[in-house]
Amino acid sequence: MNTQMAAIIKKDMQSITCNKRMFTTLLVVPIVLTIFLPFVFILSIYFVPEEGKELLALLEMFPIPVQSGSSLKSIIWFMLNILLPVFFLIIPIMASSVMSAASFVGEKEKRTLETLLYCPLSLKQIFRAKVIASFLISMLVSAISFTSMLIVIETLSYAITGSFTFPDAKWFFILFLIAPTISLIAITLIVQMSARAQSIEDAQQGAVFLLIPVLLLLIGQFTGILFISTWLLLVIGILCALAAGLLLKKSMNHFQYETLLKN
Amino acid sequence: MNVITLTELSKIYPGGKKAVDSVNITLSSGEVFGFLGPNGAGKTTTIKLLGGMLTPTQGSCTVFSLDPAKNPEKVHALCGVVTEHAQMYDALTGIQNLIFYGSIYGLTPSESKKRGLELLKQLELYDAKDQKLSAYSTGMRQRLSFARALIHQPKILFLDEPTSGLDPESAQNVHDMIRLLSKENGITVFLCTHQLRYAQEICTRYGLMEKGNLLAEGTLTQLRSKVCSGATMKIKATEIPHELSCYQTPEGILEIPIQSEEEIPKTARRIIESGGNIYHISTVLPSLEDIYFHLTTRKESLK
Repeated sequence: MNTQMAAIIKKDMQSITCNKRMFTTLLVVPIVLTIFLPFVFILSIYFVPEEGKELLALLEMFPIPVQSGSSLKSIIWFMLNILLPVFFLIIPIMASSVMSAASFVGEKEKRTLETLLYCPLSLKQIFRAKVIASFLISMLVSAISFTSMLIVIETLSYAITGSFTFPDAKWFFILFLIAPTISLIAITLIVQMSARAQSIEDAQQGAVFLLIPVLLLLIGQFTGILFISTWLLLVIGILCALAAGLLLKKSMNHFQYETLLKN
Repeated sequence: MNVITLTELSKIYPGGKKAVDSVNITLSSGEVFGFLGPNGAGKTTTIKLLGGMLTPTQGSCTVFSLDPAKNPEKVHALCGVVTEHAQMYDALTGIQNLIFYGSIYGLTPSESKKRGLELLKQLELYDAKDQKLSAYSTGMRQRLSFARALIHQPKILFLDEPTSGLDPESAQNVHDMIRLLSKENGITVFLCTHQLRYAQEICTRYGLMEKGNLLAEGTLTQLRSKVCSGATMKIKATEIPHELSCYQTPEGILEIPIQSEEEIPKTARRIIESGGNIYHISTVLPSLEDIYFHLTTRKESLK
């Protein structure tokens, strides 16, 4: 990577943090999923224990490890290691979609793309710089979301049960395999839509399709059809990595002057 | 060495529209070439072909012997482009925009800032350097685009209607800068415009386009001799002889087409001999506008 590409990456990342509307969109979903949801869930179980009993019956379906005899601790463990991992996947999809839509379609919409195309960088370098910027923002948002989620859950866990509840191996695959690859898939979908899309919102609709498999995973898990084990996540991660590689290559071929300046 | 060469250059868009049709032009260093014609003449398409944004359907074009379709980034390093569709970032200030574009042209941030401030001073934008682009007027944006195109000291400038939206004073400022750049720095300017009067002020050579075809090409003198030789003699007089009254304008001025200077004293003598007084005589050579309209009407009548 050269300094010219670094300048594009820096500019793209700064432009999203300077745009209040975009920045709010980036913040809302992670705050709801990683702070609000666990906070409300754990406190409601704590203050209304009858609800918790029904939930404990549901938990028998899942292979929860033996906890120190506390049903609340089991519920917190369920929250952290069964419920939140799938919800968490929405964050990298959303962050990379918002960022790449602004980076690719936003430039076209504001007529700044043509200026960038007249610079002494190859199309491949411009494409790479923009993909890297979107990817870095997505990873940054995911890392901050995970950290804040952990702080909320551990604080509540210690305050309620007197001990911490640790994340299991699933989180390793979520953070280091699935979140990065699913971000790349979302970025490539936006790039492919960028030729046809007239506005940022048009392009973001493309990434909504990625949420469907995530929702299916959630439904499958809650209906008992599917249990999201560490091994299943590893397989999903490898498939996502393959898909991301293929789609990146395809998107790069789609990234041509004439296609980009059409309309 | 030819800086720009267009050889039988043609571009047909996917819908079948022939935007550029077999155009041949060569440009040398330091020339200010006026590529003139109305909207839809193929001027912007030609700039896009020279910038590598479009691939020719037939023929070829080169910039410093480089094929823009094959080596666009090498061509971009040598040229600066100002077009209506090439805008800058509203969220950044004037100087931040120039520093960003300087950095992607390979300049260090301090070099970009120094060069950017120099250009902002020259283009009378220095006081607005820390204002966000969203607060700039159309004219200010246009001048900043001009500064952006010059940030890396290009060897060629492709300008597509660079003074549209500018007030007369700012337009004059840009004209002076174009003249200076070509004269002192040897920059070749490829200027597209439909404002023929303004082009005549700054261009050294012209290409007249209509519907993708190059109607004529050359210096003003060459175009005058090729297209409409002669001049118009303007006389303000009284007691105009009957045979000359058909040349009289509603304002009472005689406008007589002449082929040689010899016709001037002959006409003056006739007016004086018929008892008239002459208050003013001048000859006007055909302007670029006259040549363009002469060409287009001749083409229409040939159809």
